[in-house]
Amino acid sequence: MVDQLPNLGREDEMLKAMGLQDMEDLFSDIPDEVRFKGPLPLRPPQSEEEILSDARRILGANISMGSRTSFLGAGLYRNYIPASVFQLVTRGEFLTAYTPYQPEVSQGMLQAMWEFQSLISELVGLPIANLSLYDGSTAAAEALTCAVRVHSRKASQPNTVYVSSLTSPDKMSVMENYCQGAEITIKTLKHNADGTLNLDSLKTAAGSCGVYLEQPNPLGVLDEGLTKTKEIIGEHTALIVGVQPVSLGMVEAPGHYGADIVVGEGQPLGSPVTAGGPLYGIFACSKPYLRLMPGRIVGRSVDVDGKEAYCLTLSTREQHIRRHRATSNICTNETLIALMGAMHMALLGPDGLHDLAYRNAAACQKAKEVLVETPGVRIVHDAPHFNEFAIEIEGSAEACLAYLDDNGIIGGFDLGRWYPSITNQILITTTDQTTQQDIEALSAQLSMWTSHQGVSA
Amino acid sequence: MSHLFNHNGAPNTGYSQPPSIETATKPSIPKGLVRRQRARWPRLSEPEMVRHYTWLSKRNFGIDTGFYPLGSCTMKHNPRVNEVIAQLPGIADIHPHQPEHHLQGLLSIYYEMQHMLEVCAGMDQVTLQPVAGAQGEFTAVRCIQEYFRLKGDTKRTKVIVPDSAHGTNPASAAMAGFEIVEIPSRVDGRIDLDALRAVADETTAAMMITNPNTLGLFEADISEASKIVHDAGGQMYYDGANFNAILGITSPGLMGFDAVHFNLHKTFSQPHGGGGPGSGPIGVKAHLAEFLPGPLADRRTPTAGEQSTAVDEFWYHWREPVHSIGKVQQWHGNAGAVIRCWAYYRRYGSGLTTMSEHAVLNANYLRYAIHKAAREEGVDHLFVDGAETDVAKHEFTLSMQPAKEQFGISAMDVAKGLLDRGYMAPTVYFPLVVPECMMIEPTETESKDTLDTFAQHFAEVLKVDAETLHAAPTTTPVRRVDEVYAARNLCLRHPFDE
Repeated sequence: MVDQLPNLGREDEMLKAMGLQDMEDLFSDIPDEVRFKGPLPLRPPQSEEEILSDARRILGANISMGSRTSFLGAGLYRNYIPASVFQLVTRGEFLTAYTPYQPEVSQGMLQAMWEFQSLISELVGLPIANLSLYDGSTAAAEALTCAVRVHSRKASQPNTVYVSSLTSPDKMSVMENYCQGAEITIKTLKHNADGTLNLDSLKTAAGSCGVYLEQPNPLGVLDEGLTKTKEIIGEHTALIVGVQPVSLGMVEAPGHYGADIVVGEGQPLGSPVTAGGPLYGIFACSKPYLRLMPGRIVGRSVDVDGKEAYCLTLSTREQHIRRHRATSNICTNETLIALMGAMHMALLGPDGLHDLAYRNAAACQKAKEVLVETPGVRIVHDAPHFNEFAIEIEGSAEACLAYLDDNGIIGGFDLGRWYPSITNQILITTTDQTTQQDIEALSAQLSMWTSHQGVSA
Repeated sequence: MSHLFNHNGAPNTGYSQPPSIETATKPSIPKGLVRRQRARWPRLSEPEMVRHYTWLSKRNFGIDTGFYPLGSCTMKHNPRVNEVIAQLPGIADIHPHQPEHHLQGLLSIYYEMQHMLEVCAGMDQVTLQPVAGAQGEFTAVRCIQEYFRLKGDTKRTKVIVPDSAHGTNPASAAMAGFEIVEIPSRVDGRIDLDALRAVADETTAAMMITNPNTLGLFEADISEASKIVHDAGGQMYYDGANFNAILGITSPGLMGFDAVHFNLHKTFSQPHGGGGPGSGPIGVKAHLAEFLPGPLADRRTPTAGEQSTAVDEFWYHWREPVHSIGKVQQWHGNAGAVIRCWAYYRRYGSGLTTMSEHAVLNANYLRYAIHKAAREEGVDHLFVDGAETDVAKHEFTLSMQPAKEQFGISAMDVAKGLLDRGYMAPTVYFPLVVPECMMIEPTETESKDTLDTFAQHFAEVLKVDAETLHAAPTTTPVRRVDEVYAARNLCLRHPFDE
């Protein structure tokens, strides 16, 4: 700690100047009965070298996805992030700044976030985007409460929203926590056997405040039926679509087929998986939602000389001004990760994004082509997929994944963890980082697994 | 000016990609879902992109640029080894759904951080899941809500907050469905126990308060406040935004609190990143522990087959609390931030007490130095302490009301004058209970020399005539920005040709 405290050894000089005797005088206002007795029972301080060495040893006990063949995704996607993103984002002027409350000395981050808003707006096909929420799950949850704020007064199903029954229980849990305070009822929508949304079930959502669906859906299915949903639910029910942003290099922007709010996990653009955080939540919407939406927004303005300048705007929605009547309690968000996203998007450009989406789609297609020929493996949904798809295997998914793990493969996600009645399905995720060799290795091991099942049966 | 969207010269892309995997049939998108028009994104080569963001960075002020005395925000130095550690594949390239035997390192660091925060806060159980201070507040009041629901105590629908509280306190409680009862502070900025007694009753679920408070004063009556709330059957919630002042000196547990959130991006140096990411773990007493969001990191003596990748003699595993409120973030919180803060904690260990002592030493010294410099420059009549006190804690407030009344110089004018001298401005107009407030928090990061120089510059700013100060800043990338224009002429994205 000696390297962090410039005034170690100067305490007496400073105290004396103030007319104080010792450090204790600075804490004379804290009553004795609430004082700690003795030193903190914690380990002794370490040097930078010791910390780095411990970090390498302890984190080295984790098994990184890159050190194995991995097919685990289920909401987080392992993409390549260009080196310049990491190099630039650690510039101290970005890294060590606070929220840009003093715009005159924060133009860099303000402009970068205004550009981020512009990039996201174009990506999802809606005119307005904020500069990030915490992650995809809180963005989805905040979209539901926002939809209720906008539509509840005129809705025939006030304070009610509908969510796809395929939504991951973890995300659902976040939604429930965010919605319960406003006494919002969350109802679920059914799906067909091929994984697509049941449009008859959707009819029940007409007159509610909002509908949350994902494209691709949680099982990787690209659902053309979503282009008809806005027509079914009507003008006064918000269509909220959750996206995997890389897919939008090939897949139509939801704003172009009627989505009122688009949310999503921004991570695949700009951020490593990092054990699930920090990530960044995308939140974009159409004009009727602007004044009731959550999160910070940057606007372009001018300074007193008429020079182009940027500042935070529409702050009267926020907690530091509106307090308990704010549209959300969010203050600290994920600006720096959003900045990484902006840098990645800037490097990709429109054609690079298309190519990246294509590489993701091709890896998925190849995996389907190989696994459909693999003995004992069945692809659950006869549908187009992006990034991932569910397979059914012989025996239990849990045991199969343990077998694959013993053979150096992180085999995917046991869907029984989301849907407890399912015991033999695995969500296989591919990304631009998946190779043909990876897919062949998975197929070979699944085939071995199947043959072992035959022996024991 | 460099505009991202004005870059359209690059015919290709800023990063080349390897060819895609060959497939028997082309990957197809359903006809009705094919994207018809590509996003109108700019086209930059890598050198153009690097130069654009470097140019932007030069128009931004961070702790690395200069002194950042932003009250309530604890802008301390961010050690760079923490960034190196956060990029190691053992954290950057792991997935939260990997099995426990793949994540022994992560689990052990989570366990160590939970334990350290429990010790410092005097709490029984910590969860690292909330990703920001406000989310920590929300999580804790949700736990308190479920605690009362399980007890069948359904009348407790109100949360008490002092009028000097951070805006997130009432916003978080309201989001959980509570009614907010605001109580006034005394004229000296401290909690009014009579006002608290008047509102604490069988409808009180909790009181939310920070100590030291937002004026940088320690609430000496805190034990009595806890007693009043507890006697009424309510819970005490500690807003940990000002935790940097008290580590190893006192703790929320000793003060009688039941729940607390930490801002790891303040106290434990996760970089603020221009607004985030943060990390907002919460700690609770035993009676609330089983309501926390899961999973929590736990450990046991290993059984057969559990040692292969262990980092020490324990087997680490996740645990789901019995009455958990569920999740507030989809995964395990901001793990990358937790790792950085772990590295920061390791730097201090039991010396965290010294860190807090120096934060308080610096705040008091700066308050002294500003008054001294102002006297020497003959401008000490232009401001007063925001609150009468012998000692402040990690921050202090000044009121520019005299300058406003005598010369029309506002706190904002002084703030802008400081920008011209190469400083980030202190927090202005918060807390609202101090008129023309400037809230100053130097942190332990700053040397005595920096504090002396800043104090001198502060006094010099006050010698500047009102007209010149109204026009400040003049040396920054742009001058005062018209926020009214921004709100009236909304331009929230690149306009293209529209």
